[in-house]
Amino acid sequence: MNGGFLNLERVRKEFGSVLAVDTFNLEVGAGEFVSFLGPSGCGKTTTLRMVAGFEQPSSGTIWLAGKDVTFAKPNERNIGMVFQSYALFPNMTVGQNVGFGLKVRGRPKDEIDRRVQEMLELIQLRDLEKRYPYQLSGGQQQRVALARALAIRPQVLLLDEPLSALDAKIRIALRAEIRAIQKELGITAIYVTHDQEEALSISDRIVVMNVGEIEQVGTPFEIYNFPKTQFVANFVGSLNNAEAEVIDPANGILAMDGVHLKTADAHMSNRSKHDKVKISIRPERFSFAAEPMKDNVVDCIIENITFLGSVVRIQISIGDTKFNMDTFNNPYLDLPAIGAKEQVMCSREAVLVLGDAPESAG
Amino acid sequence: MTITTTPAPLAAKAAAAGTPARKNRFWSWLIYVAGAVYFLTPLAATFYWSLRAEKGKLGFEAYRRLFAETDFLPAFSESLVNAVAAILLSLLLIVPTAYWVTLRLPKLRPVVEFITLLPFVIPAVVLVFGLLRLYSRPPLLLTATYDSSRVLLVCVYAALSFPYMFRAVDNGLRAMDVRALTEAAQSLGAGWPTILLQVIFPNLRVALLSGALLTFAIVIGELTIALFMAQHTLGPYMADLTRSKVYEPSAMALVAFALTWAAMGMIAYISRERRQP
Repeated sequence: MNGGFLNLERVRKEFGSVLAVDTFNLEVGAGEFVSFLGPSGCGKTTTLRMVAGFEQPSSGTIWLAGKDVTFAKPNERNIGMVFQSYALFPNMTVGQNVGFGLKVRGRPKDEIDRRVQEMLELIQLRDLEKRYPYQLSGGQQQRVALARALAIRPQVLLLDEPLSALDAKIRIALRAEIRAIQKELGITAIYVTHDQEEALSISDRIVVMNVGEIEQVGTPFEIYNFPKTQFVANFVGSLNNAEAEVIDPANGILAMDGVHLKTADAHMSNRSKHDKVKISIRPERFSFAAEPMKDNVVDCIIENITFLGSVVRIQISIGDTKFNMDTFNNPYLDLPAIGAKEQVMCSREAVLVLGDAPESAG
Repeated sequence: MTITTTPAPLAAKAAAAGTPARKNRFWSWLIYVAGAVYFLTPLAATFYWSLRAEKGKLGFEAYRRLFAETDFLPAFSESLVNAVAAILLSLLLIVPTAYWVTLRLPKLRPVVEFITLLPFVIPAVVLVFGLLRLYSRPPLLLTATYDSSRVLLVCVYAALSFPYMFRAVDNGLRAMDVRALTEAAQSLGAGWPTILLQVIFPNLRVALLSGALLTFAIVIGELTIALFMAQHTLGPYMADLTRSKVYEPSAMALVAFALTWAAMGMIAYISRERRQP
């Protein structure tokens, strides 16, 4: 066992011949908010369900507060869980739902009543104590589900895509509320989502998963700005991908369609001249070259301009390669004409080298 | 001058829609009336016949005689007890089975569905001969006494209720997110008995009542099996009555019919109350 409050050690889960989770190692500190992010079928929910005790690992160990809970029953783990479908008990009122866990534990009635009031206060639904779940909106139901999970004072709070069934505005408001409550109570939380914006906005750390494996673990800032793999770079945020040839490994100089680009990639010195590599640049890292700059200033042609609300997306071609460039919208934005020749720039840190291009791979 | 007109497309739409709608309504009513006549005429005839027990006038003499019969109430109460026992046994077997199949063994659903349908496929006579053959000799001698035969009868009635009970419970389980509710209860510390009694059963209330009342309707007047097992229940009593009396069997048939409809009415009433737990 390592130093975390919740530790997953070499956890693996197979369903018959299908490997759902492969050698998952993670330490979650007390009070930390960690999100599992990945596409459908990547194993994030299966991992969460193993922590909850609804699935048993094929191998590996799960430690919670220093105790091996790998094969403990779900009702013996003291873990609170919030489900995508809310899973409120339809035959019980809001108050009865929130107090259910305490009632099961045989707590005295006045203690249950007091705790229910505290929880309803926390989620600001005190007036709805006598209502039944079908009399609540989706957002209200999910807040009740959160209160119910927190009422038992769980050691860990697990949230399985809790906002997926809600509309966009409520989703944004509720995720801020969940984060605020988690911070206020200082509870350790694991949050499963396939929504990158949700994961980036709510988490202390993000675990990006793909086909049952961890691709990268890091803070939202690290995950977005310094993706370690092509998958992470593509999955989190928008990305321009291209191929380039290594010209000067020592100085991090690449050539793409005859245009020289500089990169700050730390592993460039391990590469050889004429290696083919995949490069990625985020659309917002480009800007129009208003002044000369040491790094990358390149000629381009404006191909298309798309208005996306707060952002304007400009499609440019550099040589034969097309890139997207994002710039914040404002009413006084001086946009170039389509077909115009312009100069754009980006820093050498913006040019990410994320692997070998197919020609030189293997 | 103000000119008010109906917009042309709307007017055309209304005119076009009127004729077929009226036509449809006519056919709906015709089918409804034909159905009502088909079903109600025999009932009306039976009722009319049951009122003619006294010569020269219509009255409820047949009903008075029926309830005055010393054998009627014991037969009725025996059937009632059998029905309740069969319902309880059926619930005890079907609810945990359907719950477990939904939660853990969904692949077994077709097998369980087939097994629960067997009472529809096997004729009652075949069923009763098979049962008598199996349970009338050691080591499973259940027909030695009247009471042990009655236990066997209740077991058979429970089996007869499987098609209705399983479907009712299965529909009820499908209407809720069984897995999420179970897991939510588990994560809050509940064990299996608590989950079943406090979460699953209360949310299956309507389904359980539907299954129970359908079982009641089948069992209360069942004849073939009770007759072969020599049980003094309502079915054999009615058959006996038909052979020995003229007007009372009609009165009896209507009483049994009323009981069945009362059961159905109760299902409808409780289903309507569903959204006000």
